[in-house]
Amino acid sequence: MIWSKEETLPRGELEKLQNARLQETVARVYGNVPFYQNKFKELGITPHDIKSIHDISKLPFTKKQDLRDNYPFGLFAVKQDAVVRIHSSSGTTGKPTVVGYTKSDMDVWNEVMARVFTMCGVNSEDTVHNAYGYGLFTGGLGVHNGAETVGATVVPSSGGFTSRQLLLMKDFGATVLTSTPSFALHLAETAQNEGYDLKNDFKLKCGIFGAEPTSEGLKEEVSRVWGIKYYEVYGLSEIIGPGVSNSCCESKDLHIFEDHFYPEIINPETGEVLQDGEKGELVITSLTKQALPIIRYRTGDITSLDRTPCRCGRTHVRMKSVMGRADDMLIVNGVNVFPSQVEHVLANIDGISLNYQIIADKKGYLDILEVMVEVTEQMPLDSIGALEKLQKDIQAALLNNLYINAKIKLVEPRSIERSMGKAVRVIDKRSI
Amino acid sequence: MKYAIKQLSVFIENKAGELSDFTQVLSKNGISIKSILLADSTDFGLVRTIVDNPERAKAILEEEGFSVRFTNVFGVKIEDVVGSFDKVVTALAHENINIQYTYSFYEANIGIFIFSVEQNSFEEAIKILEKNSIEIVSASHFYA
Repeated sequence: MIWSKEETLPRGELEKLQNARLQETVARVYGNVPFYQNKFKELGITPHDIKSIHDISKLPFTKKQDLRDNYPFGLFAVKQDAVVRIHSSSGTTGKPTVVGYTKSDMDVWNEVMARVFTMCGVNSEDTVHNAYGYGLFTGGLGVHNGAETVGATVVPSSGGFTSRQLLLMKDFGATVLTSTPSFALHLAETAQNEGYDLKNDFKLKCGIFGAEPTSEGLKEEVSRVWGIKYYEVYGLSEIIGPGVSNSCCESKDLHIFEDHFYPEIINPETGEVLQDGEKGELVITSLTKQALPIIRYRTGDITSLDRTPCRCGRTHVRMKSVMGRADDMLIVNGVNVFPSQVEHVLANIDGISLNYQIIADKKGYLDILEVMVEVTEQMPLDSIGALEKLQKDIQAALLNNLYINAKIKLVEPRSIERSMGKAVRVIDKRSI
Repeated sequence: MKYAIKQLSVFIENKAGELSDFTQVLSKNGISIKSILLADSTDFGLVRTIVDNPERAKAILEEEGFSVRFTNVFGVKIEDVVGSFDKVVTALAHENINIQYTYSFYEANIGIFIFSVEQNSFEEAIKILEKNSIEIVSASHFYA
């Protein structure tokens, strides 16, 4: 089943739609967002230079830092009275990244998420157990609205409380699980420990997983232990949230809803646009967003594009499941973390140096994070109790500022290994 | 500050070989350990030590990448008779001086207990002990 006719538009017609929508978007940001007007002027271009989607490479990139620099609403193209929803993610200096939605943006979000559910064969006969986190994170509410749009019954369970979730999944007869893949495995492991029979106690037929880079092996594991079909959803709050792309029944690759989100692949070093099939950084331009239109957003995700026809009948371009990051961003249990954010938190704590190392690993199926921090050469404290309090203070600061739960390990000065004189900031022992 | 002994507090990780890394630095540089106390948590430990040349020891240890600080402590002579240690502790407790930690060592036939109190009650603690005729060892006694 296919939710909307735009998904199967012939490529020529799709391109016409993209041409018109890009021109509207460019005019909108030029007229309403000083940041973009200045960027256009610096490049010596005006909206008139953009005649078709092929002119998109003339436009400037937008980076995550640009959203932070314009905190909170500097990149919004509408006044506050038109904004109906705000979401946000963690940020450095206590400044998160803020995204906003008008009523029409919400309609687009519901629409693309309805396409996602339909692509996965979900309809009004299904019960969706939604274990993505609700709140400022776009995952929970984005998935929720899409499931309601296709008429499914939604159980908004959010994260945590694993045992209770299993009880609800069984008793409410969930047919679809939506969560991070690692949480799906954690649920399965807990279910086995609690004596559930995964295949017979539950009615799950599929799961829609996303929000973290996932290896093929892990996907197969989720699919195998639950006995379900694995669908992958992709998205990011800067573009809309979940619902930028999704895998269909015929392919592991994800159709990008390119009547709303126009993708390019670039060389992350040079910014040069790459050909279909070449691996590089995914860049997305929103074509219909009103509150926060975004031009050539550098997602940081490494993938490649494929415009060959898909057996499912959709004409939209497919992207490979994300293969890695162009920058040093870590995704820990679905939460995005940059080492620079950790560094900023540490800089505000006395008695420790800025020599630190972040170690990401798996415990069972969940991510665990350890932060090693060197104490200063002038030892800050003269009691075990005070040093233990320092550990707890660092842990609390990371939790409050970045929403990450890390184990803190204090180490001696200059004991964190350096490579070529430069400290290695991140050791990721998880395999994608 | 006749009685203020410069104790070194050194941060060490709780793993094999860490203490010997520390003691080797001192022995290689001819620094003598007069007394030592180890405290630990699951992840790390604190070595508190009195050496014969604290300034030099601190400089060398820092150069070797140890985290070091000075804490003022005092030493009290304790005779080997019942009640002598109690007399010191009780005198301080009576005046609400909190003893943070204490450790001991022996020279020939005399015992010396090292005491750490909160730094702002250091002088008061000394006065209390003097009033109680308790013999405090001068700091220079320990230094080379």
